[in-house]
Formats: sequence, C-alpha cells, structure tokens
Amino acid sequence: MEFNVLIGGEAGQGAFSVELELTEILTRLNYYFFATKNYMSRVRGGHNFHMIRIADHPVHALRGGQWDMVIALDAEAESRHKQNIRDKGIYLAPASAREIEKEARDRFRDVRAANNILVGIVLSVIGVSRQILAEAAKPENLEHLTAGLEFAQRWNLAETCPVSPKAVCPCKLDGNQAIALGAIIGGCQFMAGYPMTPATSIMHYFATAAQRMPVHFEQAEDEISAINMALGASYAGIRSMTATSGGGFALMQEGVSLSGMTETPIVIAVSQRPGPATGLPTRTEQGDLNFVLQAGHGEFPRIIFAPGSIDETIMLAAKSFELADRYQIPVFLLTDQYLADSVQLTDEKIPAAAQSREHLIFDNTYRRYRLTADGISPLTCPGLSDALVKVDSDEHDEEGKITEDLTLRTRMVEKRRGKGERLLIDAVPPALYGYKDAGTVIICWGSNKLIVKEAQEMLAREGIETAVLHFGQVYPLTADMIAPWGLASKKLICVENNAEGQFASLMKRELGLDATHRLLKYNGECFTVEELYQNIKQLLSGRS
Amino acid sequence: MNGRGDMAWCPGCGNFAIRDVLEEVLKELPIPAQNVVFTSGIGQAAKMPHYLHVNYFNGLHGRSLPVAAGIKLARPDLTVIAYSGDGCMYGEGGNHFIHTIRRRLDITILTSNNQVYALTKGQSSPTSDPAVKNALDPQGNQNIPLNPVLLAVTMGAPFVARGFAGDHDHLKELIKEAILFKGTALLDILQPCVSFNKINTYQWYRQRVFKMEKPLTDRCEAMKTADLWGDKIPIGIIYLNKEAESREGKELFRQQATENDIAGLLDMTCVMMR
Repeated sequence: MEFNVLIGGEAGQGAFSVELELTEILTRLNYYFFATKNYMSRVRGGHNFHMIRIADHPVHALRGGQWDMVIALDAEAESRHKQNIRDKGIYLAPASAREIEKEARDRFRDVRAANNILVGIVLSVIGVSRQILAEAAKPENLEHLTAGLEFAQRWNLAETCPVSPKAVCPCKLDGNQAIALGAIIGGCQFMAGYPMTPATSIMHYFATAAQRMPVHFEQAEDEISAINMALGASYAGIRSMTATSGGGFALMQEGVSLSGMTETPIVIAVSQRPGPATGLPTRTEQGDLNFVLQAGHGEFPRIIFAPGSIDETIMLAAKSFELADRYQIPVFLLTDQYLADSVQLTDEKIPAAAQSREHLIFDNTYRRYRLTADGISPLTCPGLSDALVKVDSDEHDEEGKITEDLTLRTRMVEKRRGKGERLLIDAVPPALYGYKDAGTVIICWGSNKLIVKEAQEMLAREGIETAVLHFGQVYPLTADMIAPWGLASKKLICVENNAEGQFASLMKRELGLDATHRLLKYNGECFTVEELYQNIKQLLSGRS
Repeated sequence: MNGRGDMAWCPGCGNFAIRDVLEEVLKELPIPAQNVVFTSGIGQAAKMPHYLHVNYFNGLHGRSLPVAAGIKLARPDLTVIAYSGDGCMYGEGGNHFIHTIRRRLDITILTSNNQVYALTKGQSSPTSDPAVKNALDPQGNQNIPLNPVLLAVTMGAPFVARGFAGDHDHLKELIKEAILFKGTALLDILQPCVSFNKINTYQWYRQRVFKMEKPLTDRCEAMKTADLWGDKIPIGIIYLNKEAESREGKELFRQQATENDIAGLLDMTCVMMR
C-alpha cells in the first residue's frame, strides 16, 4: 500500500512547513516515505508544491502518475494539480484550507497552527489514531494535530487510505544534510562557501553543526575566496571543503587547478541546477558533469563521486576526504537539486566515529614535493617541527621553490600523473541491481539511481528482465570497474537528467561502450518512476 | 639562504631592501620560524617568501588574503603574513582586501607598492598616478589611483601604516609592530621599481616622505592624513586602534567531532529552502 500526497501554494503559505512537520512525525511513527519539492526562485508568492509518498515498504523516488490526495492552498494549486487526482482521490480545496486557517486563528490564536492541522488530516487519512498520535507527537503540537484528526472525522476522510508503518528505527535526512554529515564523519572541520541554491543548506547544516563541535564555517565574499580559504585551511592541516552550484563553481575553477598544482587536498561539493548561466535556480539537472570533469587549467588527477542515495551520499562524502588526503588532489561530490531537496529514510547504520588526518612529523630536511615511486609526497603542515612547508602554484622543485628547470618540470608532471594512475586502485565500482544476466542494462549515475531501480522492479513484475548499473564514481572510469558485467555485448540504455547524454559520451570515451539509447530529461524536473517505466518499456518493445 | 643571484628581481629593485629587512625581523621576532606562514599571490613581490626562511603558500594572483584567512581560521596558533604587490593585493585581489579587513582576523598584510605591474612589464596598476604612460595606456592612465592606506582606515582596519623601502630602520620597526599587532594590520610599502617606474624613484620618495610623530587614534583625522599624497607623503603608523577586538579562530587542530556530536547531527533539523 502507498499513499501519494501533493500540497501546493504560494511560497510562504505553509506548504513547506507541512512537509517538514509531516516527514518529522512520519519518521517518529516508523512510516516509510519519500518527499521532495518543486519550488520557484522567490521568497514569497509564486507557486511551490511539495510531494510526499508514504508506503508500507521502502520508497526512494516519486511514483509519478496520479495523486491520492491534493491539498490546494490557493487557486493556482487547484488549477495545476486538481486534474491529476486519481479516481476517488481526496481533494482539499482552497476553501477548506481557509476553513482550517480560520479554526487555527479562532481556536489557537495562531495562524501557523493550520500547518499542523493539515498534517493531522493527512495522518488521519493513512490511519493514524488519536492514541498513536499522542505517543509520537511533540507535546506542543499535539493539540493542533488532534484538531486535524477532528477535521478528517468530520469530512469523512479518516482511514480512507490506510498505510501500515513498517520502518524500523528510521533516520530522516535530505541530500544536503547527508553531505554535511558525511563530511563531518570524514573528518572535515572547515567549510568556506558563498550561498547559492541548491548548495546553501550544506553550508547551513555545517554552520549549525559548528555551534556544537570543533568545525568551522566561514562565509566568503565570493566563490573564489571560498575555495582559496578552504585550500588555506587544508594546507594548515585541517580537512576542508567548499560547496556551490554551477555558476559559483565557474568562479572556483582556478582554485581547482591550484589544488592540482600545489597538491593540496580539498573536497568540492557541486550541487547542480539547470544552466547555462543563472538557468533555473531551484530546479534540477545533471548538466555539469563535463564541466566538473574539465574544470581547472592544466593536467592533474581528480575523482568525481555522484552518489545516488542518502546512505551512499554519507559514505562517499566521508570517503572523499580520505582520498583527497591520500592522493593530495581535489575530490568532487557531484549532486543536484533533486538529491539536495529530497528527504529520504535511511535504515543503514551511520558510522559514529569521525575520521581525521594523520599528521606526520619531519625534520628540517623535509621536502613537500619529494619525488617518490608512486608520486605521493609525504604530507604535513606548518608548525609541528622545524620542517618548513613550502607550496607553490608555479612549477616547483621538491622543496617547493619556483623553478624553470624543464627536466624537473617533466618529472613533476609525471609525478602528478602517477598519482592519477595509482588512485585507480581505490575506484568505487558501480552497483548492479536486478537481473545480472539480462540483455538490457540501464545505466545511470548520481541521483537517478533509486528512480531507475524502482522502474526496473516494475518492469520485472511484468516479466521484463533488465539490470540497472549505477555509477557512484563517475570519474575516473576503468575497465576493471565494469569487468564483471560483460557490458560490451549488451543493450545499454543511459538515463540522464541532461540534454546531451554527457555520461554516455564519457563512457564511450573512457570505456569504449556505446549506449544504444539515451533517455534524457532536461526540463528542470527529476524523472518519476512511472515515466521511466513507460519509456523503457516502450524502448524494449521496439516502439520507440 | 639563496644568494641574490637566485632572486628573480632586477638589480636595484626595492624588494631586495625589503627582503633584507624581513630577514632581520624574522630573526628578531619572539616567534620561531616554523610558526610563521607567508601567503602570497603572483607578481614580482609575491616571490618574496621564496627568499625567506619560512613556511609559505605561494598561491594564485590576487588570492594571498583568502588563503591567509583560511590558515588563520584553521590554525590560530600560526603567525600569518600575506605578502604581495599592489596589482595582486589591490587589483586582482581588491575585493578580498576589503573583505579580509572586515573579517577582523589577526593577520598582517604587507604590500610592495611600486605603482606599476612589473612582472608583466610596466602596465598601470591600481595605484599608478594619473596620466602615466605605458604600452596599454599610451594616452596616459585615465583612472584615479586607489589609496590603500585611506581605504584601510575607512574600512576600519585597526593598524594602518605606510613604509618606505629606502628607510631600512624605520621599515624594520614598522614590520615588527605590524606582525606583533593583534588584529588585521596593513603595511603598504613604497617600493621603487627601477625598471618600469621612472617617476617614483628612491630620490622622488626621499624628497616627499615624512614620518608620523605618533599614530593617529582618531579615525577622521587619520583619513585626512591618509589622503595626503604628492608633495608630502606620510610614512609610519597612520592609524592605530588598540581597542578593536580581533576575531579568535576556533580550536580545530587535533580536535575531533565525538560520537555524541555525530549522533546529535541526526536529530538536527534546519528549516530552510536551499
């Protein structure tokens, strides 16, 4: 059983508060759910809507298709979404919303109580009783939520779409919270950034965490400063990161190159939104893969992770810091607005202990860029001994002094390249879901993972056997990573949230694999399960 | 230490004089060399740390200050000195100059100000006088020069000074005081460029500089003095605000988030849109 509800209205009307309260209490009540939002780039007015899928089994994507319930807080929401309610579905019109608001004002002397009354109505629809509610609700919200149950009774909505709570000790996180959490677990103690949607809440979580633990957030005057500050902090011995979106990352590129040349470890979270230029600030796209791949002048190694779930985001964010330190390179976390704004449950165990950088002690013969067999020079930071740490953005000698010795230049290029070859052994292989021997493999990367996975499961229920291969590491790509799956002889369908099929092209370049089909979406919205299921089914039946 | 032959400056360059002063200061400071970090950008002056016995991060053009801020925030125990030329510090890095002062960190900003882009061979810099001619300004510089000292006073920097490369002892005292001052300290150093600035020579400066008797503590008065240029150029500490509180970085090094800290993060809600 599952229940899909949409709540829409103007920015500032309370739809977001309803989502927050509802997902909070669903988590406490052990319901499986998935929530995401579609909002405009404005603070008040416009039209925003929040979508929550509640189920008796794990769900990690928007189902698509029709809604079981629509709550329209204004006429715009009514005109856009009312027609998408399923037969016998529930519709709360703006007039009902006004009635609820009146109750909030008259009975509770607080218009904001309307949000929790709406939450109470939804909870009643899925079968939450007064008694269960009393056990789970925060005391200060109970009265308002209970008023919601009363509305539902009066309007004959109670228990009309019952869903059983079956999650066990779930934990609720959105994508950006997962990045900040993963970073802190990875030992990150310094973040500098400049606010930019959809990356800002990574900074917000980090700044909030900084009030309680030994980490620091610094708001920079621009993105150029942000990445340079993070590099300074990393040089000083602290694991560091910055976060931004495409336009801000454009400004950071010189810092990426600087990290490559000075071999200063850094993690850069790039939360994609549709471009070019300002694009659609609050919508989603996977259009910056090529950009991040090529960012920064000159040649130097890098790793790009593109996690597809909350668990994977935490895991890869933490791992980024370990790898950035080990190889002394920039490591990217490439996500998008869809992942940033999606609230999911995780029941996997989240690591409790934070990692940290090991600080080696050397004497005054220390050379920051000592030439070694694998290209990795021992890393330390200033002030620990009489070893001086000298780093230079110019080509440099082993000591870190500017040089124009061209023989040495060649050796330094090879040293940096050598690290790139070495880091292949740490490559995170793609994950395969579904039928491993199927003739069709649906390829995806980043945030599309769980949407594609559920579409594959739908197909499987109809006897259509496919496999899903998700790349959480999109660069570098190596033959070893895909060796177990015999992809060369299979029909490959690449699913991407962009117009060019950037990953399909990368796969062709790096692995020599041809995706026979590219399923692309670039209107600023994520795929839904239903949409992918239909598209893939059509492709496989040859009616494309 | 390198012989002068290894240094990338022209014979007679004002940077040699400044380097000699810096070397003496670093030896005399009550701070071990291992705890001193120089950051620099790009340009002839930005090569300075290569010729000193210190830690350094010689980064990109204009970015000595963000790197310095990152280091100081991460490691309050280190003495952080940003060193670059006028083009790097006030041109490419102009925005960082303004905002670094706003950050109130205990860092020292030293600028070799020769009023010209020297490494790229003689173009106008942000501090070039009006009407000076060069390859990119054949009609003469059309812009008003930026006065870094006046700007720093206006921004509320608590220690604002100007030095002259041609006055060894005076410069030495200024650099020492700037480094030991607790808070953001700007020391703009008049540095003759023997190759590309034929106007602002050692002699030109010697005829014009006068030493401040004592630092001004009134900001409005300091602005008036900082605005002086031309026949009379003040050197010394122009503005000093001992009351200004500098920002202390947090203790991060060798600290770690605990298991409780991380568990607490799972319950943390942040109510905001992206």
